[in-house]
Amino acid sequence: MPLSPDSEEIFPSPHAFSLENGVRVVTIDQEQAPVVCLDFWCQAGSRTEAPEEFGLAHFLEHMVFKGSGQLAAGEFDRRIEALGGSSNAATGFDDVHYHVLIPPAAAPEALDLLLDLVLHPRLNAADFGLEKQVVLEELAQSEDQPEEVAFQRLLALACPGHPYGRPILGDRQALLDHDPERMARFHRRRYQPQHCSLAMAGAVEDLDLEALLAPSPLARLEATDLEATDRFPPLRLQSGRHQLRLPRLEAARLLLAWPFPAAADLDAVAGADLLTTLMAEGKRSRLVQRLREDLRLVESIDLDLNVLEAGSLGLLEAVFEPDQAETVEARISQVWQELCSAPPTDQELERARRLVANGYRFGLESASAVAGLTGHQGLWGRLAPLRHPLDLLDAWSAERIHQEMVPLLDPEKACRLLVLPA
Amino acid sequence: MIASLHPPLPTPETFTLSGGCPVWVLRRSGPAIVSAKLWIRGGSGADPRGQRGRAQLLAGLLSRGCGDLSGEAMADLVEGLGDELRCEASEDGLLISLKCASADSAALLPLLHTMVLNPWLASDQISLERQLNLQALHRQREDPFQQAHDRLRHQLYGDGPYGHDPLGVEEELAGLERPLLLEAAGQLGGEGAVLVISGQPPPDLRTLLEPAAAPLWPAVAPLAAAGPGGRSIAALVSEELDTEQLVLMLGAATVPLADPRSLALRLLQCHLGVGMSSRLFVVLREEQGLAYDVGVHLPARRGAAPFVIHLSSSADRAAEATGQLLQEWQRLLDQPLTTKEWQLALAKFRGLVAAGRQTCGQIADRQALVLGHGLAWSYPDEASERAEALDPAALWEVARTLLAHPSLSLCGPAAALSAAQRAWAAHPLGRSASALLS
Repeated sequence: MPLSPDSEEIFPSPHAFSLENGVRVVTIDQEQAPVVCLDFWCQAGSRTEAPEEFGLAHFLEHMVFKGSGQLAAGEFDRRIEALGGSSNAATGFDDVHYHVLIPPAAAPEALDLLLDLVLHPRLNAADFGLEKQVVLEELAQSEDQPEEVAFQRLLALACPGHPYGRPILGDRQALLDHDPERMARFHRRRYQPQHCSLAMAGAVEDLDLEALLAPSPLARLEATDLEATDRFPPLRLQSGRHQLRLPRLEAARLLLAWPFPAAADLDAVAGADLLTTLMAEGKRSRLVQRLREDLRLVESIDLDLNVLEAGSLGLLEAVFEPDQAETVEARISQVWQELCSAPPTDQELERARRLVANGYRFGLESASAVAGLTGHQGLWGRLAPLRHPLDLLDAWSAERIHQEMVPLLDPEKACRLLVLPA
Repeated sequence: MIASLHPPLPTPETFTLSGGCPVWVLRRSGPAIVSAKLWIRGGSGADPRGQRGRAQLLAGLLSRGCGDLSGEAMADLVEGLGDELRCEASEDGLLISLKCASADSAALLPLLHTMVLNPWLASDQISLERQLNLQALHRQREDPFQQAHDRLRHQLYGDGPYGHDPLGVEEELAGLERPLLLEAAGQLGGEGAVLVISGQPPPDLRTLLEPAAAPLWPAVAPLAAAGPGGRSIAALVSEELDTEQLVLMLGAATVPLADPRSLALRLLQCHLGVGMSSRLFVVLREEQGLAYDVGVHLPARRGAAPFVIHLSSSADRAAEATGQLLQEWQRLLDQPLTTKEWQLALAKFRGLVAAGRQTCGQIADRQALVLGHGLAWSYPDEASERAEALDPAALWEVARTLLAHPSLSLCGPAAALSAAQRAWAAHPLGRSASALLS
């Protein structure tokens, strides 16, 4: 069954290469893009922290913007923004990335600044103390959002002893204990060529990235610590039933976490995408239709797939009046059991397939999204033509979803947290 | 090097539907996508007294059945193709947004006409949508930022058109029944409407937007007319909550987008709050470590837009955070931007315009808003040119005229509120305000 409305659908082609030290690089030219996005990725998420390093991956991401050997604190932002650009960064469980959006003519200069910044952070002691305050404020801000607190608790319960169960921001005591030397050691250990990738997307037609990178600090980056391979524990999700009462909570939440196949299993991830969409994306998805539209039990119900390297997580959140908790839970189980007893219809699967595919297609419009996607693929050695994810979706039939994917959503296998107002 | 001016948007095709609604079409190469934005004047700012929440409720119902299609049939059509159709109310208008693959657009574009002309407004769907909005309104109270924002909004706009959340006011929303919604639906387009389409729509666009047999949708092109005003009474308002942080919002009601001075405010926003080199970010966050999130809220409005600076800081640093926030506002009144600050603000302004033109959806969204306010298609590009002429003296003059009397809204634990109140009372901005402790 052809997926795309136009089987001749053309995607821009990634141009990929590696630097001599092993850093993977990819560029994609996008017609119509008014800007260029540069995206530096590193396998330095919170999962890679040793016990005395909790919170450091994210804290380092903050400290990077405090300057390098050549750039004073704040100078990077001032220069990028004076060029008409903007920048930001994000730390996840598995990786961290730093991205710059910039007019094409200024891209070479922005590239130099970005690489100097991420590879040679200054980590000045006074700046370190101040930025620690900022991170503590970030932590306090998230603790004032009951929903954030609830999700963090769910992850702690579902992933005990695993890095995914720990907050990326770290905890107060760990943050207070950190010093610049410890952070520098973390940086040296993780920001090595074998852990890095770079992507450039958008109006890149006139930019020769290979030539630009030849004299760059990225090309000179040396592998100083040759850990043969990273060994991180696979995720073993702990099923169970828990309850939490939170002050300032206005509506009850039911949170469920399930283990799903890891990011490297692209085929299974595509199947999981189809399943979660079929279950909870749009008015005609099974859970939304039943619990919100027909029974009017919930204000909302969402099921998100969080694709992660050590094992993905399916996370369900239902929002409802506190006295409906039992009914909501029973109905979710019932919807799952119905899907166990008979495969989804072809029409249902096609709906899910189109929703996932268009979500992906629409995402390919902006330079930031394309740089993010391909930089991440490059980082984990999974670079593929842009149409590849669509082909993977085509490989799933309703029968295969029924046999291989539906059993993964068994409520008995989930970690369940009911959150009620205190 | 300073960022150069972005290229202007190309000239669009334009035509008018037989009922009067103007259509603007910007064809672009790139992915085969269509984004259509139908902007209809009359959002929550036009909710009648006693019916606050009406515009948002109506918006939610437009995709719950129209013409020959029930809500389920509409969802089957749109979701079945994998596309997106949403309708939401803001303070100034209703916005119907369609985003789809070009190949699907012939099947979906006709829905726009049917949704505004012939929505079902079925009773069971009204009760469901109303219940969802009531729950959302209720749940907003979990967020201390929302609470501080609600307090400030009430201080700046009282019970005026901009005084409530688009979701409404609980007691009034609960009483909204079908006859009132039918009346509201009948008025859609009467105050102005515009459709902007960007991307790769099919060639026979006009026929799709206005099916041959269908009745006309009477609508007029939006005219430039000033929207609702605000109040100029400066005061302190607060809400006690048991939180880690104190949320602070300092703001004033200013001018509509169509007012020439709004551009100066936009540049002041760029200076203060856009990007990591912005004044508030550097001083309050990077130099003092007072906050994680700092910024400036300045939505484009047809009436008196709020200009708000905000931060949240640990409760035990309440006095310091309040003092610093007030000092930054006072600085806007006491001195012009330096040449460097001004140039940086201009560069950011241009960068924002360029970055905001990456997708069909971004372009259609921005242009629909501008046209919906009765401004010209070329307004954003002209504003970029006009910005050059706004020197620091001109910005300073606007700041002194429009930002002289801000109000402060606080949300946090009792001790932090007291400390912040003392800092406010000791500052010239607070001393000149009448202290309305709530």
